[in-house]
Amino acid sequence: MEQDAQLVQQCLQGDGSAWEELVRRHSRRIYGVCYRFTGNRTEAEDLAQDVFLRVYRTLASYRSAHGGFATWVTSVTRNLLIDHYRRTKRDRVTDSLDDKMAVVENKESAGRRPDEQALLGELSGQLQNALTKLSPELREAVILRDLQQLEYAEIQIVLAVPEGTVKSRINRGRIELARILQQMGVRPA
Amino acid sequence: MTWTCDLVEARLSDYLEGLLQDAERAEFEAHANSCPDCAPLVASVQSLVGEMHALEELEAPPRLVYAILDKTLGPRETTTGWQGFLNAIRGLASPKFAYGAASVLATLVIIVSSLGFSFKNPKLADLRPTNIYHNADRQVHLVYARSVKYVSDLRVVYEIQSRLHQEDNNLQTTPEEVLPKAAPEKAPGQTDDRQPSQPKQQNRANEVSHRLELMAAEFPVVSGRSIR
Repeated sequence: MEQDAQLVQQCLQGDGSAWEELVRRHSRRIYGVCYRFTGNRTEAEDLAQDVFLRVYRTLASYRSAHGGFATWVTSVTRNLLIDHYRRTKRDRVTDSLDDKMAVVENKESAGRRPDEQALLGELSGQLQNALTKLSPELREAVILRDLQQLEYAEIQIVLAVPEGTVKSRINRGRIELARILQQMGVRPA
Repeated sequence: MTWTCDLVEARLSDYLEGLLQDAERAEFEAHANSCPDCAPLVASVQSLVGEMHALEELEAPPRLVYAILDKTLGPRETTTGWQGFLNAIRGLASPKFAYGAASVLATLVIIVSSLGFSFKNPKLADLRPTNIYHNADRQVHLVYARSVKYVSDLRVVYEIQSRLHQEDNNLQTTPEEVLPKAAPEKAPGQTDDRQPSQPKQQNRANEVSHRLELMAAEFPVVSGRSIR
């Protein structure tokens, strides 16, 4: 994390290679968050690019008081994901219908081609299917905690909610996810 | 205090992450182990969390980094001019494009060489439209002539064979039998009204031997056969 702060300073002084290093360090992780949230490879790529574009343009406003650079990038990511979700909500089957009609795949999971499914691996793919059935609040909480291994304090910053809310969402998200997987016929290992 | 299912559910993550006090944990386990709803719930969530933590981080597509750098730093020096052109070409080096390009190239080579353009001695004159037309014309006529000759050779062989066969069975033939003079697909024994008038039966033997002599004279190879 110390090195990230140094790289940011070098970027602000016009060092392109420092920026390139930051991108290489964080792009895979940010892509992962975007993919797990949207369930769609193309959307994840586009959103990840948008994240780094936003970070690049607002780099001067980054303050280490906001938490580490990684946490800040994750915050930008989360905000863009929620904005994207709200923009595309109209095209989607509503969440309540998703819960009731487990067989109906919503637009997000339908965007995954069979070869992508093969790349994911069986559990990862089943998990992805189940994740896209979660409501966005629960989905982001589980992704940040169980797939990104962030600390509660970091998630609190990213989601901008109190720690109690963070824990509650993670808990409900996990329970709901387990129930969805059970309904899908996936037996826990 | 005995824990209810709702309470167990609410504190499930705390339990899994070891955040419960000793007394709380004991109460939790006391209920969860004996409750037919909570026991499977705790087990399935516990295993799910374990599996999620064990998942490998997803790979990002390799082009993502380059796309980000292009959009932020802008096209860099090395990608302008020839290098940029080469990069674009490299992007086309996918198997799909290669197969398509190879098959188009092969087709062009076949067509061009059949039109008379020699790759060993390339002459620009060979590519002029008039020359191409003449070459194509010549090729077509050659092919036609060869195929006509081939078919007529086949006809001759077939006729000779059938007439020899006919000779063997001459005494057995019925008046209705007709010599197969048309293309081989007409079965012997069928009359064909479109043919010019057939030789009468009494002249048939003379006709056959006369024709055989003519053909033997024309095709020395065939006359090698003994004709009875």
